[in-house]
Amino acid sequence: MDGLKFVGQRIPKKDAPLKATGEALYIQDIKVPGMLYGKILYSKYPHARLLKVDAAKALALPGVKAVLTGADVPNNFKFGFLKDNPPLKSGKVLSTRDEVAAVAAISPEIAEQALSLIEVEYEELPGIFDPLEAMKEGAALIHEEFKSNVLKMPWKFVHGDVEAARKESAFIAEDSFSTQWVTHCCLGTSGCIASFDVGNNLTMYSNTQIPSLAQNDYLEALKTFGLKNRRVRIIQAVIGGGFGSKLDTYAYEYIAILLALRTRKPVKIVFTREEEFLATSPRQCTITKISQGCDKEGRLTFREIEMVLDNGAYTSWGATTPSVMMVPISSLYKVPNVKYTAKCVYTNNTYCQAFRGYGNPQATFAIESCLDQLAEKAGIDPLDIRRINANEPGEVTPQNFRITSCGMKDCIEEVNRRLGWKDKKGKTGDRGVGMASLIHVGGAARVYKSDGCGTIIKVDDNGKVDVITGSSEIGQGSDTIISQIVAEVLGVSIDDINVINNDTDVCPWDVGVHASRTTFVAGNSALGAAKKIKAQIMEIAAKNLGTEPEELEMRDGVIFSMKDKEKSIPLSKVLRKAHYTLGGRMLVAEHFYDPPNENFDQTFRGNLSVSYAYGAHGVEVEVDRQTGQVKILNYIAAHDVGKAINPMLLEGQIYGGGLQGIGYALGERMVYDKGYLKNGNFLDYKMPTVRDVPPVQAVIVESDERDGPFGAKGIGEPGLVPTAPAIANAVYDAVGVRIKDLPITPEKVLRALKEKAGERS
Amino acid sequence: MGGSYEYYRPATIDEAMALMEGSGGNGVYIAGGTDVMVLIRQKKLAPACLISLRNIGELAYLETGGGLTVGSAVTHDEIAKNAFIQRSYSALADATKKVGSLQIRNVATMGGNICNAAPSADTACPLLVLDASARIAGKGGERVVPLDEFFLGPNKVALEKGEILKGFAMPAFGEGTGSAYIKHTRREAMDLPMLGVAARVTIRVEGSEVGCRDAMCTIDTISNILKRFEDEGLVCEDARIAMGVVAPRPMRAKKAEEALKGKVISEKLLGEIGEIAASEAQPRDSIRGEAWYRRDMIQVLTGRAILRAVDRVIRPDDVIWPQRLW
Ligand SMILES: Cc1cc2nc3c(=O)[nH]c(=O)nc-3n(C[C@H](O)[C@H](O)[C@H](O)COP(=O)(O)OP(=O)(O)OC[C@H]3O[C@@H](n4cnc5c(N)ncnc54)[C@H](O)[C@@H]3O)c2cc1C
Repeated sequence: MDGLKFVGQRIPKKDAPLKATGEALYIQDIKVPGMLYGKILYSKYPHARLLKVDAAKALALPGVKAVLTGADVPNNFKFGFLKDNPPLKSGKVLSTRDEVAAVAAISPEIAEQALSLIEVEYEELPGIFDPLEAMKEGAALIHEEFKSNVLKMPWKFVHGDVEAARKESAFIAEDSFSTQWVTHCCLGTSGCIASFDVGNNLTMYSNTQIPSLAQNDYLEALKTFGLKNRRVRIIQAVIGGGFGSKLDTYAYEYIAILLALRTRKPVKIVFTREEEFLATSPRQCTITKISQGCDKEGRLTFREIEMVLDNGAYTSWGATTPSVMMVPISSLYKVPNVKYTAKCVYTNNTYCQAFRGYGNPQATFAIESCLDQLAEKAGIDPLDIRRINANEPGEVTPQNFRITSCGMKDCIEEVNRRLGWKDKKGKTGDRGVGMASLIHVGGAARVYKSDGCGTIIKVDDNGKVDVITGSSEIGQGSDTIISQIVAEVLGVSIDDINVINNDTDVCPWDVGVHASRTTFVAGNSALGAAKKIKAQIMEIAAKNLGTEPEELEMRDGVIFSMKDKEKSIPLSKVLRKAHYTLGGRMLVAEHFYDPPNENFDQTFRGNLSVSYAYGAHGVEVEVDRQTGQVKILNYIAAHDVGKAINPMLLEGQIYGGGLQGIGYALGERMVYDKGYLKNGNFLDYKMPTVRDVPPVQAVIVESDERDGPFGAKGIGEPGLVPTAPAIANAVYDAVGVRIKDLPITPEKVLRALKEKAGERS
Repeated sequence: MGGSYEYYRPATIDEAMALMEGSGGNGVYIAGGTDVMVLIRQKKLAPACLISLRNIGELAYLETGGGLTVGSAVTHDEIAKNAFIQRSYSALADATKKVGSLQIRNVATMGGNICNAAPSADTACPLLVLDASARIAGKGGERVVPLDEFFLGPNKVALEKGEILKGFAMPAFGEGTGSAYIKHTRREAMDLPMLGVAARVTIRVEGSEVGCRDAMCTIDTISNILKRFEDEGLVCEDARIAMGVVAPRPMRAKKAEEALKGKVISEKLLGEIGEIAASEAQPRDSIRGEAWYRRDMIQVLTGRAILRAVDRVIRPDDVIWPQRLW
């Protein structure tokens, strides 16, 4: 792929100047005329009966325009994956983030004050905060109507005969692992403005990462509210980070809609940082029992996993994370026999949702920690057992994933070489090395009926190109990537490309920014549209130059004949010819790309993704045996990305993902004590700071994916998938203790060291 | 409605005190505002007026002749970057260097840190081991209170209503004195200490050559380095140890200090000193750290803080540290 002008280049993010100068308009910045401010009153208790919610005093406060309670939710409307979540609660509250009442007022301060005037009487009920307790026979029911605290989503994948394989295995490792709640910590907190016109059509200013699906959710809500056949328009503000937190609709959005309907004014709700911690949905915590076996040569024979996920009090799309957990469980390394069951369990905790990796980090933590245990039992170097079992191109995995490109072995070798594995592994002292690999969807993921994305390209008079895409820019750099692809195909300057991606009235359909799919799907969609518009341009140019379209090329916005360089015409002139001719035409092309991947069947088989992303992380740590602190000395993150469309942005994804993974591994944790969030602020929620960034080497492995745009695969999520087990394995190599419960805090390391030394603490 | 208040910018201490008196008891002094503004936002404080101390020249002095005197309005960044403090009052430089972030250090003052009197205040332990006293301006003139008597409890200090902390005075220490502060955190910036330990020692080396200087420069085990101390008879003549976040207020570990004085520094001794200090502490369980861990860390970090203080005597100009001492 020589001669590429834009693809493969380190081109700075298009929106960087806007963001760096503060010009970018986030939801926080947006005001519409007549706008009111909404605020939400959350439950005081994790589980209680609502005896009385009296809004009279709040309503009497000057400046307050409306107060809504559960009684104001029309027709028993509920949202969420299982439609179990009313935007304002009545009867009972089931968690401390439950919305009890909401206010709209002329200023945020008045709205805030009004909240304090709402009188709520609760009858506190005992709560259930441990999913294992909630699963027990006779446990009180969180949702009585469901008859069980275990969600009726029986996640089960079986391949081959695990029992037989277990008997035949030469070595078996078995253990339990658990992971914690972590939250996305987007710099831009969640928010929206709901606004109705006289015809009750809704315009929603929002920072969602799923405009098309949110549009659908709102339409459904309006229908339930008695407003059939209305229009919903979503205008996205600049999104200050998503990471999955904005991948589902939340109660606050429906509350804004209800307040706007009640007051006939636009209503803005923007989360404070404290609310962002409390009322957005974290990564699910998991309890995992795992066993894996191998033969004498170290080839994996089976993998069995039982998992329990704390669903929290309500069900979002996040309840489907076990389907993505299946990706590594069935297909990370070649493993012939697999059994996986998972239960999502209602508790009175916060409900969980999507977070970068969508379950994969939790599953990979168990798999890769346990693989080191197995390697030790088998007397094989952990790096070698990974080499022996590494995935390869052409493989069909137990879930029927058809592996096309696969650079896993190359990634493992990069770790080996760059970390100096053989020299460092197993040495005495306080230092150690560890590694872990990953598989993730790299060519979209068909979790909905469609996995598509539409693109429209139009070219104006001056030769400028508007690319109207369904996919959203959430900081990952999709507008830059799409520009690079279109500029490359057309032969125009990247500066002449304008990406429009934030208005459902204009933008085509897209399933959303998830599953690391944007470069792959939106990129392919843009690629297809660019090819179509190019054909149109060349056709007109050929007519004007008296040549055949096939002999024409465009470079820097000028079309010329490759046979006769004298014959040339600027793009702008071609456009004017098209527009200024009697009976003229527009230059517009559209392309819808829906990848040829498959939904899972009843047995959870199907080629979920067109291609799969691989990677391996290796880390060298030093453990302070007296304090239990773990210091990362060197971090290698090697990723098979197919092709780096923009190495700079790609490295950004790897650094960012890696650091988010390091936070997950070593410090981040939402502390819930009996349903109450204890550290909902950046002081006590220990997200790493820039000072905590260890030396990270982002290594790009290019395996040239045949279905990807210019060979590219997804990279949005993989950066944090293998981080925690790589670090846990390194800690074990350093000081011989294995931390099986994330995060790996100094306390846990020190306690384990003491236990190992036979002391008591 | 909350959040609205008058804001005054007096130019002198007297003016500030007069404004406070006029506020009917509902005024609050504000220096850098990094504690005050947080409290207002959290609705834990609803002042009628804020009286800024930032324009008062009398509070912004830093003098280094015969000891160290620092005005209460001097920022953490100014202290951290002062070469004299780095060298002769190192514990204070250690502490101020690590407060919050650069943005915080640029505005936050040491006076505010001490008057706020959080058990986790980073400059408290260094000031305690540096024998600082507080200079207080009040209606009746100035009074001086040793810092150990200044802290009364969490967020409580020995200031009468309307009084202003002018600054701190620290004595000059003789030859052979070094100090250090270790802030134990979960991350490298924007973090309060889970635990803090400061130490000051005055040491005497028997014999003229300090051979262990070379030992400190090599990457050697702590045990080996300490062995040299023992061999050369490195005697601790005077000692101060202070601990933060282990009691309702920053506190001295006086028994540990006594046990250290007059002894030849050795690995065994430092272990014992750590244990004594830990026994004096009353750490509690909180979401920021468990009591048992905090106690263990007192033991470990007390020894390390003493070692670093010693190292600063032996190698005053060396910036390279054997990594394991950190
Ligand atoms: C993001 C962040 C990070 C932080 N990190 C740290 C940290 O790492 N370590 C740490 O110890 N602290 C930290 N803090 C707390 C705070 O920054 C420090 O305590 C700081 O030194 C306070 O100084 P200030 O000038 O801002 O005080 P202010 O907020 O202005 O005042 C604090 C208190 O002292 C009173 N006061 C101030 N000056 C005087 C005076 N001269 N006389 C009488 N009363 C006075 C005020 O009335 C108020 O009660 C952090 C704060 C923030 C917001």
